[in-house]
Amino acid sequence: MSLVVRKYVPQIIISAIIVATVAFYYLYISKEVAGAFSTADKALSDWAVIITSFALIVGGIDILRFHVLRIKREGLAQAPFSTVTIALLITMVVFGVIGWYYSYADPKAGITITTQPQFRWLYTNVYAPSDAAVYSILVFYIASASYRAFRVRNPMALLLLITAVIIMFGNTTIGGLIWPGFLSLRDWIMTVPNTAAFRPITIGAGLGTIVLGLRLLTWREVSWMGRRE
Amino acid sequence: MSGRISLGRVLESRELLYTLLLLSVILPLLHPIGIPIEISVRTRDVYNYVEKLKPGCHVYIEVYYEVAARGELEPNLIALTKHLFDKGCRIVYGSLSAFGVVAFSLFRASAADLFADKVYGRDYVYLGYIAGGEAATASLAKSIKGTISVDNYGNRLEDLPLMKEVDKATDFDLVVIVSSGTDVFAYYVRQWHTPYGVPLLFVALSVIGPSIEPFVGAKQAIGMLVGQRAAAEYEVLVGRLGLGMASMDAQSTSHMLILAFIVIGNVVYWSKRLSSRRGGAR
Repeated sequence: MSLVVRKYVPQIIISAIIVATVAFYYLYISKEVAGAFSTADKALSDWAVIITSFALIVGGIDILRFHVLRIKREGLAQAPFSTVTIALLITMVVFGVIGWYYSYADPKAGITITTQPQFRWLYTNVYAPSDAAVYSILVFYIASASYRAFRVRNPMALLLLITAVIIMFGNTTIGGLIWPGFLSLRDWIMTVPNTAAFRPITIGAGLGTIVLGLRLLTWREVSWMGRRE
Repeated sequence: MSGRISLGRVLESRELLYTLLLLSVILPLLHPIGIPIEISVRTRDVYNYVEKLKPGCHVYIEVYYEVAARGELEPNLIALTKHLFDKGCRIVYGSLSAFGVVAFSLFRASAADLFADKVYGRDYVYLGYIAGGEAATASLAKSIKGTISVDNYGNRLEDLPLMKEVDKATDFDLVVIVSSGTDVFAYYVRQWHTPYGVPLLFVALSVIGPSIEPFVGAKQAIGMLVGQRAAAEYEVLVGRLGLGMASMDAQSTSHMLILAFIVIGNVVYWSKRLSSRRGGAR
């Protein structure tokens, strides 16, 4: 019984949803059937929206659980970092809930989760600058990496360097002063050789998705249930 | 010989590169050089497309970026919003990411002048965060009011005049996706463009641009605005200079510095390589 519940029931549900979704998209029998299919298809999409909303709550609880266990396991070495994470998580949730409460209790005040004053202050003055600073640090790594990577060791490296120089000149205003052709040359590189390189990746990902769907349909893909084949 | 090696070591040190890079970004921001900018064909094509939209048209804008990407994407969003409002378009904003809500709030504050004479609910609406990723994108294409019932501020969508005019993908004349990620562009191609033929416009970071280029090449999007340069060009076209144009001098000087270091790095590398060959020959 337990095997049926744990293995066969979820797989039957998944297979039924795959068949239904494909049928909703490709089959046309009559206007009435198409209308009924469309309603059912919309209901499936809405379920996904609702489930994802609940997944956010699960995510929050999981972060809390992960850090509490980490403090227990690793003690003082990890405690300061995990404590800050937990404290900020709880603080943001509390202020968010206050904002959510006011959005219903006193709609005229115009307070929502994101416009709640303390929530907004923390986001704008703590999270936003930290996030921007971490992203900005990338400029140093990229500069350092390009300085070291663009060594002309062979003809292919020279080709890579020439392409990079054209793109860099094309992305700056000073490039246009040196030679106006950099801009159109940059556009040509992006639309022709770059597209040719990226298109197989996109097609490959699409084919991979189809194969994954087929594996799920034929019950060969079981990793989503937390099990190996 | 030793002098050349020590110079090479100095030039190869990260500290020198980092310090000069920091100065090359900060100084032009404090003292702009004002290098003129040439408008690329691709940006002009996007501008011309928007220019052809009729007054009263409906546009959906996906705001999907975190504050880290704000510097590159927000100037594009502001310039586009100005152009769309100038054309008399009505805009529905939405976010498939939780951080999009704050990004919209900051954008709204940065472009307060654009919204000053606009009425919320009639000229524009912000739906807020809609959970569900691609499934939510598919659901919104079929019916916005069937997916969510209230906007970001708790107003019932049925009560908003603009939302009485639009509900599904085909009600929109243009969909703009402003995203710092790659996946969301594919969501809209698969769920809005392919089944309903809705025209898409991409606004992306410079690092994301190459990966979404095939969609534009395949005419699944009418065009794309990529990075700070496109923002600066669009600002010039719509006549509202902002952060995009202000950052272009810093982008020019920092790129030139990196190029200079690449050249120096190669000179040092080849001088070492040639001198070691000569030493070996002896």
